[in-house]
Amino acid sequence: MTDLVRQAQQGDHAAFQSLYREHVGRVYALCLRLTADAREAEELTQDAFVRAWERLGSFRGESAFASWLYRLTVNVVFMSRRTTRRRAQRVFATEDPGALERPAEGREANPGLALDLERAVAALPPGAREIFVLYDVQGYGHAEIAELTGIAVGTSKAQLFRARRLLREMLES
Amino acid sequence: MTDHDTPPEFRELRERAARLPKSIEPPRDLWPGIETRIAGKRPGKGERGRGWVPWVLIPLAAAAVLGALLLSRRGALERSGAWEVLRVAGLPVVGSAPLGASGAIRVGEWLETDDSSRAVILVGDIGHVEVKPDTRIRLVRALRSDHRLALERGEIYAKVDAPPRLFFVDTPAGTAVDLGCAYTLAVDSSGNGTIHVTGGYVEFDWSGRRSIVPLGFRADTRRAFGPGTPYAEDAPQGLRQALAAFDFANGGAAAVRRALAAARSEDAVSLWHLLERVDPALRRDVYDRLAALVPPPTGVTREGALRLDRTMLQIYWNTIRRVAWRKAILQGIRDIDPRTGTAR
Repeated sequence: MTDLVRQAQQGDHAAFQSLYREHVGRVYALCLRLTADAREAEELTQDAFVRAWERLGSFRGESAFASWLYRLTVNVVFMSRRTTRRRAQRVFATEDPGALERPAEGREANPGLALDLERAVAALPPGAREIFVLYDVQGYGHAEIAELTGIAVGTSKAQLFRARRLLREMLES
Repeated sequence: MTDHDTPPEFRELRERAARLPKSIEPPRDLWPGIETRIAGKRPGKGERGRGWVPWVLIPLAAAAVLGALLLSRRGALERSGAWEVLRVAGLPVVGSAPLGASGAIRVGEWLETDDSSRAVILVGDIGHVEVKPDTRIRLVRALRSDHRLALERGEIYAKVDAPPRLFFVDTPAGTAVDLGCAYTLAVDSSGNGTIHVTGGYVEFDWSGRRSIVPLGFRADTRRAFGPGTPYAEDAPQGLRQALAAFDFANGGAAAVRRALAAARSEDAVSLWHLLERVDPALRRDVYDRLAALVPPPTGVTREGALRLDRTMLQIYWNTIRRVAWRKAILQGIRDIDPRTGTAR
């Protein structure tokens, strides 16, 4: 466990802010790809860090802080997804196709390729997009995804196949 | 979750996904909002932590109970043939009663909005429908295999994430069949309307007449005529007028010839629909123009297409819809050749 995490656990806001600065890019990227909605991703990023603060005491260093935080973020996104009101008010990918076009630090060397894939991922149906992001981008396994999202392992596999098939069709050149 | 688990045809995609940037900076600093929300609070201990203060849990427990009640209410609604409805603005009416912040619409009931009210209907657990002002809509069926509304007049925006053919909207001019999509559907007081698809595909059926409307396309609908030929959002005015004349005003061969003259490669979806709708004598002209705009793929012959061979038409459609889809999805990102769908 790092000193920053220990200090934050003692209630040190400055230390927690440093943790925020260190991890906000990855948390936001995860939220943005799962929701395909920039505004919702901002809200969920804030929710994730607030939740992290509220649960910081339960982090015992058994895994890396980053892993703990990203897993908590996925939980926050899926809890939010289950909230009917937010779901009803959600702005969908097709209405916000520019959400992923924003220039950002850390883009890969060929930005055209990344943008193609980002745009295509954002255009996937939500269920397929979420599984693709968790499996192929974040590197979770089907069992972990099932645990995190509450769906069956078989459903996770089926959605991944659906997502990959749709993406391949979109990205053929 | 190694590459051994990934079928060879998806490995390149997986590698590209793995190369995506792991970090994207948000467009604004989100810390001030977080700082405000955690101000004055100590870091929590979680479920297993020390310093467990029972009174802190009271609001959490209340929220959990409320959440469970809402979920069980929603499940009960679905089992009893009803869907949840949320008021967005004004005073929508369900049945004969004004809608509160939320409520339910039961099979057979109407939801009506006036010029200043709006509502959202949650379509079971597969999507939602935004009901715009001045709209009258009825819940027809609430089955897991048949989620069905009837739009008498007004406008809705529907977004569904489910396998195809589970969500339907009946209108006076036919039925919109969800094929995994998002769309806006408008019906005027005489029963005529327009469907505009913003994601996926919608099939619109009336009395054996069928239009498949992809992302980025529209189709006009007319009572007693059904769906017209779909056309691209940016279709030339001349094409739209010619299609309207052919579909709804007995424009005949002259209208078809005007449509063919005005069509671009981007309008192949329209011409593909015309293949089945025109007289056999005119079909050759339609096919030849279509083949010039989007070359037919392997497996499609002129003779087969002219005799409306189902398999060949489907193969041709798969090519046309894929080209149209890539053009729409990659708009502004890649310059897509509308003849082939490949990047130029």
